Amino acid sequence: MTTRIFSILCENVPGVMMRVSRCFTRRQINIDSITVGIEPSGLARMILSFQADDRTTEYLRKVLERLIPVISVEVIDPARAAVREVALLKSRRLDDRETMEFVQKVEERSGRMLEIKEGVAIAELSGEHSKVEEAVKELSPYLKEVARSGQVYLSRE
Amino acid sequence: MELTGSQILWKCLKAEGVKEVFGIPGGAIIHAYDTLYSETEIRHILVRHEQAAAHAADGYARASGRPGVCVTTSGPGATNLVTGILNAYMDSSPVVAISGQVSTSLLGLDAFQEADMLSIMLPITKHNFIVQRVEDLPRTIRLAFLISLTGRPGPVHIDLPRDIQSAKAEVEIPAQVELPKHIRLDPKPYEILQAVNLILKSERPLIMAGGGVILSGASPELVELAELTGAPVVTTLQGKGSIPEDHPLCLGMLGMHGRMVANLAVSECDLLLAVGVRFSDRSTGDVKHFAPRARIIHIDIDPVELGKIVRPEVVIRADAKRALRAIIQALVSRWQRGRGEEWGKRIQQMKRELAPRMDYDEIPLKPQRVIKEINETLGPDAILVTEVGQCEMWAAHFYCTRKPRHFIASGGLGTMGFGFPASMGAKVARPDHTVVNIAGDGSFLMNSQELATCVVNNIAVANCIFNNRYLGMVKQWQDLFFGKRRSQTYLGESPDFVKLAEAYGAWGDRVERPGEIKEKLKQAIESGKPAVLDILIDPDEHVLPMVPAGGRLDQMLT
Repeated sequence: MTTRIFSILCENVPGVMMRVSRCFTRRQINIDSITVGIEPSGLARMILSFQADDRTTEYLRKVLERLIPVISVEVIDPARAAVREVALLKSRRLDDRETMEFVQKVEERSGRMLEIKEGVAIAELSGEHSKVEEAVKELSPYLKEVARSGQVYLSRE
Repeated sequence: MELTGSQILWKCLKAEGVKEVFGIPGGAIIHAYDTLYSETEIRHILVRHEQAAAHAADGYARASGRPGVCVTTSGPGATNLVTGILNAYMDSSPVVAISGQVSTSLLGLDAFQEADMLSIMLPITKHNFIVQRVEDLPRTIRLAFLISLTGRPGPVHIDLPRDIQSAKAEVEIPAQVELPKHIRLDPKPYEILQAVNLILKSERPLIMAGGGVILSGASPELVELAELTGAPVVTTLQGKGSIPEDHPLCLGMLGMHGRMVANLAVSECDLLLAVGVRFSDRSTGDVKHFAPRARIIHIDIDPVELGKIVRPEVVIRADAKRALRAIIQALVSRWQRGRGEEWGKRIQQMKRELAPRMDYDEIPLKPQRVIKEINETLGPDAILVTEVGQCEMWAAHFYCTRKPRHFIASGGLGTMGFGFPASMGAKVARPDHTVVNIAGDGSFLMNSQELATCVVNNIAVANCIFNNRYLGMVKQWQDLFFGKRRSQTYLGESPDFVKLAEAYGAWGDRVERPGEIKEKLKQAIESGKPAVLDILIDPDEHVLPMVPAGGRLDQMLT
């Protein structure tokens, strides 16, 4: 089982997410990450990652392409794609010393401070999944809440 | 001109060529039915249960090739469609189902008779819609019909809120829309070349024909290719009738309850040309031992089916008719007459030796004998519909279908209660044809209320109830695999089916002896009324041969 990534171009209509996601549920496959963005054409681009073998991946691709609102399904090779994940981090209430440490650690990881108000700091981190994962883990003693985008892939080809 | 949603609905249906619909009115579809009151060009058949409306639309579609249409109210009316719609989906039948829905302002607020039909219908339709603006209605209906028929057919559901039915709009009918994506119908030349090269290398070719052959109208091409190459043909349940079953090259149905010669041919062939099939587990048995000596060519219009169950050496993603035509054209100049003669002789010998016995004289009647008499009574134009279970498999095994769309059975879903309403739909679609429903007593009772629909609407379907007072197929499995422990399969000595028929105003009679079958079936058909023949059969008879679930096709119980 390896990580698979689909880039699905589909109509931007209510219910399309459900139509797509149930194809995975039916085969008992967990979707690891899912992001949706609207393209300049007005169509939606859904990026999904999941674990599956070759045969199941090919079957799912064809099942998804059969859906009426789905225009195309591209299989992205993670090795030949630009990958980014964004995480927004909110700290618990920190004292001045802790705030200094937090800011320092975020900036060491090329993160950006968005706001610091009454001891609560909000920071933004982006990068490859493993780097974001690592940073979040290390900063966790300071954190109250984390929001993550899931992985966004763009094929280099 | 400004029209209400209800007016748009019926106008659009007429623009699609719809002449008959099956349905039941209710609160959330009352505007549409109010408009129907003064509608003269559409015949509405008021059924007694919405499930029957879906099955009738399905039977209508299978008998005619035109989409069948059913209409219901919201909530329970719509949820009652579910089994029928899934049944149509599993067997690729074009049905357009329209349900009322609560007003858009009440959606999601648990209003009276509200059901989330968009979610419920989503996994069991080819596509489904909820209409949010009256202006979208013509486009939605046009798309629904296009989708139901294009490529691999299937059911489409439209959820139509109450306020949309009464709202007004200026619209164009029919709407000018195209499907958002192109369905490829023509095979690629290299696919045909690969297929023809494989066929030319084979010594023992066999054709496996499925429902796709019938859906694409490819029967003439199928027969032509079989005759050109001498390749015998086995059919799936849905493919029954794709080649006349009295044709010397037709070996009948394969699979769990298939003909022995068909299953052995699959096991011996060195090339299997599978056309419009999905390799259902009921057809293949143990996939690892399916066609073990064969290289497989698979033709299907739906790419999802290609490689789903078996791994073919050549796939042709195309409409069956076009693919077969292209193969014939490419093959005709390269085929040497006389090739495969030995295989042909072997097949004909097996066919003679393994011909199933039907001439039983016993009382209670043997079902084989009943079907023999039905074969000799009905002409090639009769449409035979079946319920599900033993009755269906006896019909599939022994009945001789001579034309496509003249054998209709619930395959993928195996829905008891399908046969009677489906035969009602078939009769409405093809009123000039005799329509006979082969039923079991268990299945028939699941939708027997439709006798009222048939009587009131003068739909003369003849039901032959193979009455053994059992849920026969389950009983058969219990007898064979569960130590004859007949748990909850004996139905008891009720009802009296003749009296049941008479209570509804239908024609009814009982058959107990072999000599009576033909005469009484003729009387039933000639009565011109909906009819019930209560045929008392041997309750201990099994459908044989049988490949146990997951077993190998060449290892049949006899």
